[in-house]
Amino acid sequence: MSKELLSDMTEFHWMMDMLQTVDVGLVVLDRAFNIKLWNGFMESHSGLLPSQVREKCLFDLFPEIDQKWFSNKCRPVFDLKNRAFIIWEQRPYVFKFSNYRPLTGTEDNMYQNITLSPLTSTTGKVDNICMMIYDVTDVAASKKMLESAQVTLNEWHERT
Amino acid sequence: MFSVLICDDSQVARKQVAKCLPQDWDVAVHFARHGEEAVAALAEGKGQLLLLDLNMPVMDGYQVLEHIQSHGLTTAVIVISGDIQPEAHERVKKLGALEFIEKPIKPDVLSALLSKHKLFAKQEVAPAPQLDRLDPNLRDCYQEITNIAMGQAGDHLARILNVFVKLPIPNVNLIEASELTMMLQDIEDKETVSGICQGFVGAGVCGEALFILSDSSFSDVAQILNIEDEVDDRVQLELLMDAANILIGTCLNGLATQLDMHFSQGHPVVLGQHRNITELINTNRARWRRTLAIELSYGLEGYKVQCDLILLLTEESLKVLNHKLSHLLED
Repeated sequence: MSKELLSDMTEFHWMMDMLQTVDVGLVVLDRAFNIKLWNGFMESHSGLLPSQVREKCLFDLFPEIDQKWFSNKCRPVFDLKNRAFIIWEQRPYVFKFSNYRPLTGTEDNMYQNITLSPLTSTTGKVDNICMMIYDVTDVAASKKMLESAQVTLNEWHERT
Repeated sequence: MFSVLICDDSQVARKQVAKCLPQDWDVAVHFARHGEEAVAALAEGKGQLLLLDLNMPVMDGYQVLEHIQSHGLTTAVIVISGDIQPEAHERVKKLGALEFIEKPIKPDVLSALLSKHKLFAKQEVAPAPQLDRLDPNLRDCYQEITNIAMGQAGDHLARILNVFVKLPIPNVNLIEASELTMMLQDIEDKETVSGICQGFVGAGVCGEALFILSDSSFSDVAQILNIEDEVDDRVQLELLMDAANILIGTCLNGLATQLDMHFSQGHPVVLGQHRNITELINTNRARWRRTLAIELSYGLEGYKVQCDLILLLTEESLKVLNHKLSHLLED
């Protein structure tokens, strides 16, 4: 094996390893919302192995996801090759993952920001999309705390 | 944050005064169109400093001063008026005004008075390198590439919503931090709005996209999208996000393709719902001095829908952009 090829392979291997361990959920879906890829983050938080979800429909595995709503969000990604974003203020979560920090976790569920990004095939068509799931529980919790503090402050202000 | 209330019946004058506030003064600026609005704003705690005109409809400046005196308010007042009669000077001083400035107002005069009364201390900062004015040819370039990008964005919006999108002429300007608020006020003077912003970055170019939808648009947008549920705050946020995703995404894609680069987009941030524009922006008062602003306002034919997309590019990005665009300028 040539040196360059070996180094390419090593890099590829690193890349795969990082995608598997990165603290962001990665899912690839096809047009019928069948799961094509499921990384370590998703495996850890859902408890489902890649082998248990591959080629299965997202909505069958996660009935809590509103099918009509989610399909609507994905439409511009498939049809217009346009990225779409879902933020926790719209819906606290898409995947119902429970809080995994018994000591410092204050919320019951993980708040999520989600990016939907088109994956262009070799023919230039978008047959698959990538879903990136970010854990924003801490951000959401602080924002909620700040808002409730503001409300308390305003009430106090009005009373005096 | 220290708050400044500018009260004048003329919009031009209000802008003029706002423009004269020291550049590096971190304050919230509020506006009132006559005395009654000013008094109401003061009651809400807006206006530790009041910059007050004298001749106004509904309630004039003298009456405002009397109100402040009789209610024992602690607001510092500087009168800014075209009335240059000595009598006017004396009367407002008697009514408790700190100073009297004659119109037209000059920034150095205002800032001298502010430091005299210890309202604002000028910080000695090294002057930022001045960017030359935007070259007309470059402006043309920016306008052209934006035209193409927003044409695509408009087409995408039209295809998703199934309506005709009225395309605007992009407005490209180099603006100062203080001018952003004023620019936004041109968009919506009275109406409340909801806004989303999203950062983007790619190969030496970065900035922020600001998407603003006037609140009166929501019922029509809901109608276009066949939403039968009650259009509550949650539904409105969904609509806002959907529209922002399409417009920001396609516009950036269009620009990126033409510039032969790629932008990553951060998570969108909700600036606020049903607020007035100054509130939206004051919460994150700018840390920058100058920016290239590309302003686009879209309307939908046959519907009462108005939305604005503003792309703000940092001063550093301009060097890269200008370089990338230079090939367009060659004959």
